[in-house]
Amino acid sequence: MDFYLNLINTIGIHTMLGLSAYLLLQTGQLSLAQAGFFAVGSYTAAILTVIFQWNIIPSVLVAMLVSGFLAFLVGFPALRVKGLMLVVATIAFSEFVRMFFYNLKWRVTRNGEEIGPDGTMGFAEIRYFSDNGWSNFEVTLFLWSFVILIMGVIWWSDQSRTGAVLRAVGEDELAASSVGINLTVVKVSAMTAGGFIAGISGGLYAHQVTSLDHHSFTVLLGTFAIAYPILGGLSNVFGTLVAVIFIQGLLVEGLRFLGDWRMILFGLLIVLAMNFKPLGLFDKQTMDLIKKAIRV
Amino acid sequence: MKNISKLIGASMLLIALSIPQNAISGGHSLKVLGWGAKSGPLKSFGVNSEAALRSAVAEINAAGGVRMGDGSMAPMEVIGYEDSACKKDEAIAILRKTASTTDAIVGMGTTCSGVCQAMFGVLQKKRGDDSDSGVQMPILADTCIRPGLAKISDWSFRNVPNEITMYDELFKWIRTAYPNVKTFTGGSETDQGHSFVTYTAIIAQMAVKHGFQWVGPPVPELGPKVKQGMKELQAAAKSQHWLMGDTNYTVQARKIKKQNADMVIVASHPFSACGFMKEMKRQRVKPKLMVGLTSSASQETLNGCMSAAEGIIIPTGFAPITSEAKKANSIVSKAGGFLDLHSAAAWENAYLIKHAVERTSIMGKPSTLQEDRRKFRNALASITSQKGLIGHLTRDGSTGEASKPYVYVQVVNGKWKVIHDPNS
Repeated sequence: MDFYLNLINTIGIHTMLGLSAYLLLQTGQLSLAQAGFFAVGSYTAAILTVIFQWNIIPSVLVAMLVSGFLAFLVGFPALRVKGLMLVVATIAFSEFVRMFFYNLKWRVTRNGEEIGPDGTMGFAEIRYFSDNGWSNFEVTLFLWSFVILIMGVIWWSDQSRTGAVLRAVGEDELAASSVGINLTVVKVSAMTAGGFIAGISGGLYAHQVTSLDHHSFTVLLGTFAIAYPILGGLSNVFGTLVAVIFIQGLLVEGLRFLGDWRMILFGLLIVLAMNFKPLGLFDKQTMDLIKKAIRV
Repeated sequence: MKNISKLIGASMLLIALSIPQNAISGGHSLKVLGWGAKSGPLKSFGVNSEAALRSAVAEINAAGGVRMGDGSMAPMEVIGYEDSACKKDEAIAILRKTASTTDAIVGMGTTCSGVCQAMFGVLQKKRGDDSDSGVQMPILADTCIRPGLAKISDWSFRNVPNEITMYDELFKWIRTAYPNVKTFTGGSETDQGHSFVTYTAIIAQMAVKHGFQWVGPPVPELGPKVKQGMKELQAAAKSQHWLMGDTNYTVQARKIKKQNADMVIVASHPFSACGFMKEMKRQRVKPKLMVGLTSSASQETLNGCMSAAEGIIIPTGFAPITSEAKKANSIVSKAGGFLDLHSAAAWENAYLIKHAVERTSIMGKPSTLQEDRRKFRNALASITSQKGLIGHLTRDGSTGEASKPYVYVQVVNGKWKVIHDPNS
């Protein structure tokens, strides 16, 4: 059971990461900065629980605010670039963040032991959950309460005018601005909201794996973040969840025996999806079919 | 909707199928499960460790197996050897899967130090501490060598060499064996904690301790004590380091050439060590001596850069110098692996498990699994000395760290040759 709960937790963390990119993709921004926001959230929450001995809830909330604020700052220069240039700029940002944590040393002594980030050696013993006697089931409930809350908010947003505005900007900026939509506000808001979500996700990830280092926050993580909503589709939050279950549950865990071939399959999957389901698994056509089936 | 249900169903089925065969069985055998990097740049480590572990277990079984708590002899069974791919999430998933869905008495892994650091963090820190909900599963590692990892949990054990002693003794020996070598410089891969920290906290200091003069970028703080001047060395010599995935070493080799040192230290894993040494050869950098990282004393280095590595000296915890080591080397080679300091530890670990099981009363039944794991952990912790392939392995009960015999090997005519055995 412990193993399945761990897998469910991993799916939850990656779902939040995917949803952070989902919002940006809705506004037409292809960003690989999510790995950077995720890293900031991870280190912030871990520093708060390990060095400052904070409770996990305020730690994750502060991680969310710090990542969100950073995303807000990144959002403005990101307005100046589009498409591939935005991808390059956000990769550069993520690498900057990764190298910052790679060099970060903040060691304090507690009970005769040194704790805290230690540069290339990483940041070990982020043991809030086990030190406080949380069972894996309790961790799952805690983590998934964030996932459900975030999915609920985004689902509501998709049904409301907010979602329509985001999609309008994503589909045609000129048309959106001509009907009075403030592009700056919408794009920066999407980037900030994505940062908030990635921060929460990172904060929970740090406590799930108990140890952080720069290897965890490479460009591959940012690629996964955008792959989930691209595969799942941008018309519904559940598409991202299904894509995460498929990639983390099936490709990474279920097909572990395939070794390096898993990444080849991942690439192949993206190519196939681009050809056969360019708008994602849960595109409008599929959603209409599902709605029809539910009604029947 | 049907398609989505099928997709989710197929995912769940595959996950269920990924649980090792015979994971839960009532058979009377002693089960172990291993994992290591079987994909990615460090793939050879996991492949060799698996071959060594399976070969050693076959030898143990051929000799009668393991004496269980009821006095009967039972075979040892490797119920799987999974690919943790040098990734924390994957290693933790395998650890939890081993602990909760198999009746393996011990988990054996893994390759990368950073991954071990995360995996050990998931374990209960102090045994018997009911307030700690960490996983209670003994883990016996063969490869992750970074100093200090064993103390993370009472459930984590390692059979890895002590690099401080190894390099201390190595430079002491070089001082007398190569009297014309007086100066040194070097480089390392900065994104690998083990390589970079071992180089900047241990290797450089031990060289200074034995009278070698650092001729790289000025680091006045560098001294003979472990970690002395580590931060300054890391900062000063950054431009002559590299990353594991680098493919171009021109700048680093040129810098090192200009320093004209007698001895060049290449503190890197085989993949990037080979890239750097090839570039040194291309630029005609010809130091009197090259010293390598212990993890590079492997077949991988010969496969990757036999000619460029000619002459490099590395301290290692394994070489076929005893009859047991020769026999093990031959068996593992036939099984498709290579025995080096890491995979040899996997071989020794199989015997360590047998030793621990026979010290206590383990029943090997599903109904006694948790109790068996606790007894096994305690038995393993109580072993302070054990016969290894090239000598006696010892374990310091206070730090949990092992101490292993070692020899110095050198690439001579494209082969590893033992050039000195400090214990002889």
